[in-house]
Amino acid sequence: MKKILALILSVILLTAVTSTETMAFWGKKEKKEKLVVWLPPIGENDKVVWEPIMKEYEEANNVEVELEIIPWENYSEKYAAGIASGQGPDIGYMYAEMFPQFIEMGAVEDLTPYLTKEDYDKYIYIKHGEMMGGMYGLGIEAANPAVIYYNKDILASIGEDVPVTWEDFIRCSVKATQDIDKDGKKDQWGFSQGWGAPYFGDLNWNWYGFLWQAGGDIFNDDLKTVKFNDKAGVKTAEFLKDLKFKYDVLPPYYMAQTNKEMLQTTFGPGKSLFSIYLSSAAGEILDKSFPDLNYGIILSLEEEGKGTFASVDQLVLMSGAKDKQLAFGLIEHMLSTESMTKFHKHHPRAPIAKGEPYQGDPRLQKMIETEEGVYRPLVVGPHGVEIYEYLWKQLQMMMAGEKTAKESLDEAAEYSNRLLAK
Amino acid sequence: MQNTEILLIKEKSKKRFCIKRLVGKGKPYIFIGPLSLLLFTFYVIPIFLSIYFSFTDYNIIKKPEFIGVSNYSDLLLDKTFKASLRNTFLFTLGVVPAQTIFSLVMASWLVSRGKSRLTEFVKGAMFIPVISSMVLVSIVWRILLNGEGSPLNLILNVLNITQPNWLGDSSIVLFVLMGITVWKNTGYFMILYIAGLMEIPKNYTEAAKVDGAGRWNVFYYITLPLLKPTTIMVVFLGMVWSLQTFDLIYTLTGGGPGNSSMTLVLHIYNNAFKNLNAGYAMTVANILLLFSSIAAIVQKSFLKKEKSEVY
Repeated sequence: MKKILALILSVILLTAVTSTETMAFWGKKEKKEKLVVWLPPIGENDKVVWEPIMKEYEEANNVEVELEIIPWENYSEKYAAGIASGQGPDIGYMYAEMFPQFIEMGAVEDLTPYLTKEDYDKYIYIKHGEMMGGMYGLGIEAANPAVIYYNKDILASIGEDVPVTWEDFIRCSVKATQDIDKDGKKDQWGFSQGWGAPYFGDLNWNWYGFLWQAGGDIFNDDLKTVKFNDKAGVKTAEFLKDLKFKYDVLPPYYMAQTNKEMLQTTFGPGKSLFSIYLSSAAGEILDKSFPDLNYGIILSLEEEGKGTFASVDQLVLMSGAKDKQLAFGLIEHMLSTESMTKFHKHHPRAPIAKGEPYQGDPRLQKMIETEEGVYRPLVVGPHGVEIYEYLWKQLQMMMAGEKTAKESLDEAAEYSNRLLAK
Repeated sequence: MQNTEILLIKEKSKKRFCIKRLVGKGKPYIFIGPLSLLLFTFYVIPIFLSIYFSFTDYNIIKKPEFIGVSNYSDLLLDKTFKASLRNTFLFTLGVVPAQTIFSLVMASWLVSRGKSRLTEFVKGAMFIPVISSMVLVSIVWRILLNGEGSPLNLILNVLNITQPNWLGDSSIVLFVLMGITVWKNTGYFMILYIAGLMEIPKNYTEAAKVDGAGRWNVFYYITLPLLKPTTIMVVFLGMVWSLQTFDLIYTLTGGGPGNSSMTLVLHIYNNAFKNLNAGYAMTVANILLLFSSIAAIVQKSFLKKEKSEVY
């Protein structure tokens, strides 16, 4: 009897301690609504920069904002896992390749009903949020194109002008590839381009721009098939492959390093004429780590036309957000002219909203303002991640000398078209 | 009246005896119950779920849609799967013998030297990689191996040896990854071998020495056969670890260049979390499960056989 009584008492006690009312009683603070925001690292110390901006919204709306900075390395995986487990954010940050999957699975909210006519006038990159039959994001990070960096001293030493065409680029690269210290080994390279990135991110500078310059593209207009293995695609791939196997202007470790690593280990120390990476690296890497480097920037070479990649990454309202209106309010607050002016003061970029002053790299201002048509983001097409990943692996095989340009592109195209047909 | 009371008492004690017997019989089940429940929930159910999801089109969030054996037929067309299967087997074939032999040699040397400062240092140094985070290890190795300015390449440069493209050459990258894995795992298996060597009664080896057996003969005819149970464990544990290798490759090469270092688990991960094609990922996972199960069954049968032979 005693045992039964003890058991009953234990159950009652346990229930009492764990009941929600009791929990609420013990933590009897006023329960604020919470908004969770996931952002990637845009610059250094992002959290410190965002905190005062978030605080303004917290105070004005009696809400708690929790900001989490997600590293780029496994960014989309974190979203997938978070959403699947019901622990995803209310507001997220997505790049073009991420959208199709998350829109298809219904994880991202169409913003059309939330937007006013003024919003369409206010946000400079709003048209890039239109995709797959809705308006799924508002641009937060844009006009940071992939550019070709060139070493002015090396260029002067080989008696060449800034290259304009692919032919100029090859000629300069060949001339710059030299054995400077005369020890029988080449130690200065034409183009420090890296093909060793584990994932497809380096397609942004190694592939898209050159493909567009050759007149090619990734998808056909109906987005049901790809076209990167057409004549323009093969021409691009052959141009890239020839840089290694015909002209030998890439450093020997080109298959082991990423473009960012190449910038740091080869271009920065003055061991190559050209390198290619994001324009923001000028201020964030080259000026900081190599203050004596005398370099210039080329937005795009010209073949059939001009073109280079510049992402338009977006803030998105997640479908799992409990209070969508409140969450959308925070998006608008984050993208407001005032907030972005504060943010770009720390992380210099071109304006996102009208009325924001230009606080980006002054060397890029003219380029960004006058050559708007040259830099562009990817078209959001279905199965983006799978297609780009497969294409990257195939191009790696080509650059390693295992496949021809046509073989690589045809195999990637066959895989992509099979996926798109599903 | 008295008789009835006696009968009642007897009946009661009989009942108590029955309950006691029942409780007594059920006791082991009570003890293993919670653990079995955990095992069933976290090991058995996921296996069945994985088999079920492999017949569906499932992206983690949407409801799974039954598609028959479509995922399995897709395996035949999937060149990345074929490459990952080949690489996983090559990796296992390379890593398991190397780490087994190396850990056995190191353990034998350490035990034969007895306790000294040197052996303690070697033991510690060999065990550091085991307790280090694989991600950290990968980052360190990337710095060591990557590019012209890497420390390893600088040494080779001084020695006037051509610097291989360690992580960028698809013909050697898998061997580089094997080497790092052997370096990481050897310390752990060495400890297992040391424990195994300590268990061998000294009188066996002493008797052999009295009979005129040399060092090699003692090792080959006495030590090695008595270490069979440890070796079986080392081999099969190493095999399962190699089949499941992921973090090193994910951090260091991402399966590249191309698919030259792609493994099954990395392919599963990419499909599940990058491509959000969990149904297909589970199909590949089931193939891996099949191989792991075969390894486990073989190990069990070997262990049974060894037990009856040795003891």
